[in-house]
Amino acid sequence: MISEFKVQRSGVIIFDEKRCVECRECEVACSLFHEGECNPSLSRIQIIFDDFIPRFPLAVVCKQCDWPACYYACLSLHENPAIYIDERTGARVIDENKCLGCGACARACPLMPEKPVIKHKVVNGRRVYFKCDLCKDREGGPVCVEICPSGALKYVSAIQRRGMK
Amino acid sequence: MTIYGWTGKMLRIDLTRKKITTIDTMRYARMYIGGVGIAARIAWEEIGPEIGPFDPENRLIIMVGPLTGTLASGACRVEVLGVAPQQHPPCFSRSGMGGHWGPELKYAGFDGIIIQGRAEEPVYIWIDDGDVEILSAEDIWGLGTYATTKDLRSIHGDDVRVISCGPAGENLCRIAIIQTETDNAAAQGGFGAVMGSKNLKAIAVHGSGGVKIARPKEFLDLCLKQSTEGRSPYGPRSLREIDISGTNFRRHKCGFCLSVCSGMLWMDIQGEFLPVPYTTEQMCYGFNVTSERGRIEARALVSNYGINGWEVSYGIIPWLQLCRQHNLIKEIDGMEIPAPDKPIRYLRDCAPVTPEFLAMLLRKIAYREGPIGDALADGACYAADRLFEGKGKPLLDRIYPRHAGQVEHWAGHWGPGGNIYWPMWLTTVLQWCVDTRDPASDTSHSWTSHVQRYLPKIGSYRGPIPPERIREISMKVYGDPNVLDPSVEYDPPEARAIPAIWHTDMGMVVDSLILCDNEYPRIFSSTSKDGMADIDLMAKIFSACTGVDVSMNELMKAGERIFNLLRAIDVRNYGRSRRIDESTIDVGFNYPGKDDCKMLDKQKFLKLLEKYYELRGWNKDSGWPTREKLEELGLKDVADELERIGRIG
Repeated sequence: MISEFKVQRSGVIIFDEKRCVECRECEVACSLFHEGECNPSLSRIQIIFDDFIPRFPLAVVCKQCDWPACYYACLSLHENPAIYIDERTGARVIDENKCLGCGACARACPLMPEKPVIKHKVVNGRRVYFKCDLCKDREGGPVCVEICPSGALKYVSAIQRRGMK
Repeated sequence: MTIYGWTGKMLRIDLTRKKITTIDTMRYARMYIGGVGIAARIAWEEIGPEIGPFDPENRLIIMVGPLTGTLASGACRVEVLGVAPQQHPPCFSRSGMGGHWGPELKYAGFDGIIIQGRAEEPVYIWIDDGDVEILSAEDIWGLGTYATTKDLRSIHGDDVRVISCGPAGENLCRIAIIQTETDNAAAQGGFGAVMGSKNLKAIAVHGSGGVKIARPKEFLDLCLKQSTEGRSPYGPRSLREIDISGTNFRRHKCGFCLSVCSGMLWMDIQGEFLPVPYTTEQMCYGFNVTSERGRIEARALVSNYGINGWEVSYGIIPWLQLCRQHNLIKEIDGMEIPAPDKPIRYLRDCAPVTPEFLAMLLRKIAYREGPIGDALADGACYAADRLFEGKGKPLLDRIYPRHAGQVEHWAGHWGPGGNIYWPMWLTTVLQWCVDTRDPASDTSHSWTSHVQRYLPKIGSYRGPIPPERIREISMKVYGDPNVLDPSVEYDPPEARAIPAIWHTDMGMVVDSLILCDNEYPRIFSSTSKDGMADIDLMAKIFSACTGVDVSMNELMKAGERIFNLLRAIDVRNYGRSRRIDESTIDVGFNYPGKDDCKMLDKQKFLKLLEKYYELRGWNKDSGWPTREKLEELGLKDVADELERIGRIG
């Protein structure tokens, strides 16, 4: 059990607020790739901005924590946990087929409680949680990074992050 | 059966009876796609010649399309249609806007809204997914569009998207706009005043649904491909290439788009040198002001008052300066109207105005202050009827073809929009002759700001495509080698008439899907090996999205159908004819082009117009669509109706 709590470092999506043009194509591309429809409410990334509030936009997306509370929560509560660590990218991934919809991962996540990075949806009458998986099996890497017209989103792989304390 | 692309439902809201119903989109979609197409059909059925812009029975038709809210670049746009008060005289016309409102409407589950009637008291419409309510606007009536948006967000939530009219719309200014957030507006046509006349202040939307895509993987690949096709041979190919080091601007696009065009949001972000709370530097127009700060502040004023800045900047102010030069007026409220020493021949000759003059003018327009403000609130064409005993009317000639209420745009003469060179502007002038609005919007942006820039040598452009390839590409795209050859002028007439039709029909497709006319259609690419873009891309994107497999030719046919229907409305309701088409040339273009000093030769130009009618399948003498053409397009009922009133070609 203890060994399972030591996880490999993940790649991560980083955001440059000054480059972002607030077009929301990342949200649309994400939902299209993962859900087969264009639907920002099913996106794993969200850009928050308000024309009338003078600040740069925010990107709400999973930080792929080194010590992921969501993963620990799932591991601790379920015999057959739904969250696993993807070997290639290091992404903390929810297996929708295994998810029981308990929501412990979302409650454990410390990021942006009002705009969660772990959201839920209903699939065939079953509540399941979903989060950014860095498009782990996609050839071109995360789709949001590829579509981003302004270069505001970048992908930093686990290898590039090696040595980071 | 699952519907992909479309939501399948449109809203009909009768403000008089407070009745909200839905219409099945799919009844119209096969023939008219969405957007402008479906709106044209509804207008044909519901807006008769007796209906004026401010009558309760006028329809305010606000449309999105099957591609709205998807990943297709430019999928944010909204089309607004109805009898337009800015048009002189009013007629059924259209205007578009970007922003985030359109996708939100789609996510709420609707392909469009038809608003009719007039509320007894000021109201706004609140759409929360499937729930639609008409609510009292007592507390927000009188506010600017910015405060309206902020108020409705404080009531309904931060993520609500709002369109609204400002004081200008409430005061029925014929140049009132429908504004969304800080940066986007449906400005041409005066549809803000149509909202005002219906006592409708705003429409707030929240949507949490999505757009279902028939073939998601293919759709994603097509959109990614589209994003790498360089649209312009000049400047950066992508926003990624723009160096922003050392700047502290918040950048802001109109949304759901991958193109290079992007505004900056001027905000009070720390370190910023401009003190304006919020306004966006828009792509398409600007004011000529003696102060840079004044220029930026004026943009916030027009958006907040809900005034058509294009009309003020390129029409009203130059016309006032011309009137000043002709001693018709010297000052407004003791503030002198600036005018250059030399005669004003083109927009570039006008003098910059002071920020205080501009602020005063905008306020007077929005609130119809004084006799001058009251007259200018309707735009220069209506003002010229009322002011100075009509002596200002001849001065409109340079600015407003046919005095139709809208400023010349991309037609190579007066000046706003950009540089279009001889003989390419013959095509936009042709488009202007037959349309109900300034042509270089949906119908010819791609001709003027895309195609022309790739040509090897025209005006100041030195495009990348070698001359020998140009005729080849021209043949491939337009079926005529002369279209892209600038050495061909009036003869053969097809060279100028074919692209006028091609780009208009394409524009109708773009406005019905709805995509951005600044993005599509593309002919050239700065990144492909042969210099050509994928011309079938729009059809491929549409097919992968909706699962309705069509070729580009079929889409073009729909575009042709839609434009013929708009023409039929114009003919039936407003007596549009060749005589009116021709008067565009008489009034607006009897002086040389601004960049090339070329004069239009009327007799030669009429040959182009006749060729245009012929290729359109319209009668050459009357300019009316023929029964053959209408029946070929599946519009037999339209032909019957035109025949009944004796206006079939």
